[in-house]
Amino acid sequence: MATLRDIRNRIKGVQSTQKITKAMKMVAAAKLRRAQDSIINARPFTRKLKEMLKHLVTDHDRESNPFLNERDVKKVLVVVVSAERGLCGAFNTNIIKEASSLYAALIKDGKEPSLYCVGKKGYDFFRKRNYNMTGFKTGVFNGLKYDTALQLSKLFIEGYLSGQFDQIVVVYNEFKSVVSQKVVRETYLPVPVIEASQKGIHEEVDYIYEPGQKAIFERLLSIDLRAQVWRILLESNASEFGSRMTAMENATNNARDLIKALKLKYNKERQAAITKEILEIVSGANALKG
Amino acid sequence: MKNLDLEIITPSKPVYHGEILSITIPGTDGSFQVLRNHAPLMSNFEVGSIKITEANNNQVLFATSGGTVEVLHNKILILADSLERADEINLTRAEESAKRAQERLAKKGRGEVDVSRAEAALNRALNRLRIAKGL
Repeated sequence: MATLRDIRNRIKGVQSTQKITKAMKMVAAAKLRRAQDSIINARPFTRKLKEMLKHLVTDHDRESNPFLNERDVKKVLVVVVSAERGLCGAFNTNIIKEASSLYAALIKDGKEPSLYCVGKKGYDFFRKRNYNMTGFKTGVFNGLKYDTALQLSKLFIEGYLSGQFDQIVVVYNEFKSVVSQKVVRETYLPVPVIEASQKGIHEEVDYIYEPGQKAIFERLLSIDLRAQVWRILLESNASEFGSRMTAMENATNNARDLIKALKLKYNKERQAAITKEILEIVSGANALKG
Repeated sequence: MKNLDLEIITPSKPVYHGEILSITIPGTDGSFQVLRNHAPLMSNFEVGSIKITEANNNQVLFATSGGTVEVLHNKILILADSLERADEINLTRAEESAKRAQERLAKKGRGEVDVSRAEAALNRALNRLRIAKGL
């Protein structure tokens, strides 16, 4: 049976763990707010860009633009966006599960999948299990920069244009709200069909295009490809903090319950010990009297 | 209203929204200025500086690494990868990236550097420096 001292030590241990989880929760909450702001700041750009692309797209682009043109898919690049660190609930597990099931499904279909890991957790997992990996990038989420998105998108686009991959799919956590994140698969390249807007203003207005409609469309599309990587990184980043905050909140609550239970047990033991002592004294005194 | 409505948006954040009198843009086919009642226009622009004159005749300078502009009914919309106000440019950072790009270019003989990328990076960094120093 646990002695009083043992219980006391355990209470102390749980209390210090609780302090840590509480602090981690606070940090995650603060960082989450900043990550959310970044997402909100990025939204107007994506919206306007999509609008302009819809106005500009022509049937000719759909056939001739290499980013829009679908090829026979053989080599597929799966980009896995995970976190740098653990202790964020099921965040990494969900991503890894989704990515490996996609990988297995692609092999079953006779495709040649390879992985590109963003974030240390996913990289560690897949490296140890000898998955076919074309590259990885870690340390991305310690101070997220737009430059990172530029580098990554450049890498993907070059790989796609050179024929190294026929299709690029990104698996990442989408930020729904603080308490809910959803793992999504998204085709990055080829770009999913852009519907031309119905009788947009661009047909009524006689624009001057400099240097030409096609060049502008291509420029916007390449900006869009970069901005998409940026958005995905932001979403994943915010999801990670949301997930960590929830996980740490749960841990803190569990620690509180545990401390409560331990304190109850401790007090029971203490009272039992006192009662026992009194009994011994009383019976000793009685024995002397008798 | 006798001014132009200008909106500048980058993926990181909306940079500028306000009324202006004129704007000068480093277009792909040459620099041009937009005043009120300009014809509808869509144009790409390259690395360089964007100069605007605000409604109170105040001049503001931006450094950009290229993007696209749309002019329609006295509304101007600029979408760009990066665009910074001259007074918000981080000089030390720009100097560092210029130095890094120069070092990469110095190694090009060994054939392991992406020359065009390094040149573009150098170009962007020098552009930022030039604009920040008001040259």
